[in-house]
Amino acid sequence: MKESLAAALAESSAREYAVYLLGNVPGLPPIAQSVHILGIAVVMSSAIMVNLRLLGLIAPSQDVSEMIGRLLPWMFWVLPINAVTGLLFVVARPNRYFYNPVFSWKVSFLVPAVLLAVYLYSRNRSEPDYWEKYLSRRVQSRVIALVSLALWVGVIMAGRWIAYTDYLYPADGTFLNQLYYFWE
Amino acid sequence: MPFPELWNWLQTRPLAEHIGFTWWFPFLESIHVLAVGLVVGSILMVDLRLLGVTAVRYRASRVTSELIPWTWGAFTLAAVTGFGLFATRASAYIENPAFQLKLLFLLLAGVNMAWFQFRTFRDVAEWDKVTRTPGAARAAGAASLLLWVGVVFAGRWVGHII
Repeated sequence: MKESLAAALAESSAREYAVYLLGNVPGLPPIAQSVHILGIAVVMSSAIMVNLRLLGLIAPSQDVSEMIGRLLPWMFWVLPINAVTGLLFVVARPNRYFYNPVFSWKVSFLVPAVLLAVYLYSRNRSEPDYWEKYLSRRVQSRVIALVSLALWVGVIMAGRWIAYTDYLYPADGTFLNQLYYFWE
Repeated sequence: MPFPELWNWLQTRPLAEHIGFTWWFPFLESIHVLAVGLVVGSILMVDLRLLGVTAVRYRASRVTSELIPWTWGAFTLAAVTGFGLFATRASAYIENPAFQLKLLFLLLAGVNMAWFQFRTFRDVAEWDKVTRTPGAARAAGAASLLLWVGVVFAGRWVGHII
């Protein structure tokens, strides 16, 4: 499926259009990347605030239920912006991304991270204080918070490493070899 | 640029060269993005409270005091990782207009923050609970918002010039 999608994109007019935009709109690549990073700031702080609050580590005076309802919509509004600014580059060079293992990591971290946020939000929306009512739910919310935090850190790290795949998957030898070389 | 010897000395340190030639560079860079995300995100929340846009049910001083430690922690991480990245090609970065602009925005953001902290915030008790914060507080929030957006743009632009 990945191969056919990459091939279809590579031959599509969407690709031609994205390549044209990136090459002809002055400053578009850094502008799109900067907007993407600002989006990351909003998504990350929304996710981190909510998850750290669920773990009891931040903003003790703020109400958990109110905080989920107030902060997670920021993430849901900004994610489409990041999808557009990110997919612009993917559509322009589908083979670079679809055959990049680090990009696959990013997507595999991103999808569950978003789903967990949607789950937190929708439960809280259907029933105020949902996550605080019983001990079992508090425990569940803390597990979700820990997993989410790890996933978001993974999304950001993998995102930046897409451009440095060679370090992780070098043509001559493995990442572990490089580590060994360093500590030698 | 002043101090050419200094920048050259810095970029020829073994640690700087090690960062520049190994996976340390992308590693520090990804931590830098993460830290910048937290700095800008937490400052955004404070700024929006100062502008009376969000979290208006909480006292401004409460929002500020709960978030600022996280901002400073993340800022320290961003500064340390950023310095590590800078050290790899210090002479080139210091001449890079995007990098210079980034430093200028950071400086102005710092001045704005100090002004707010020592002048506007002193009488916070008078406007702590109101949605319509005083003009000076709103101006500080708006200036901070714009300056940090500028920092991110200039920062991302650095790599496109060098």
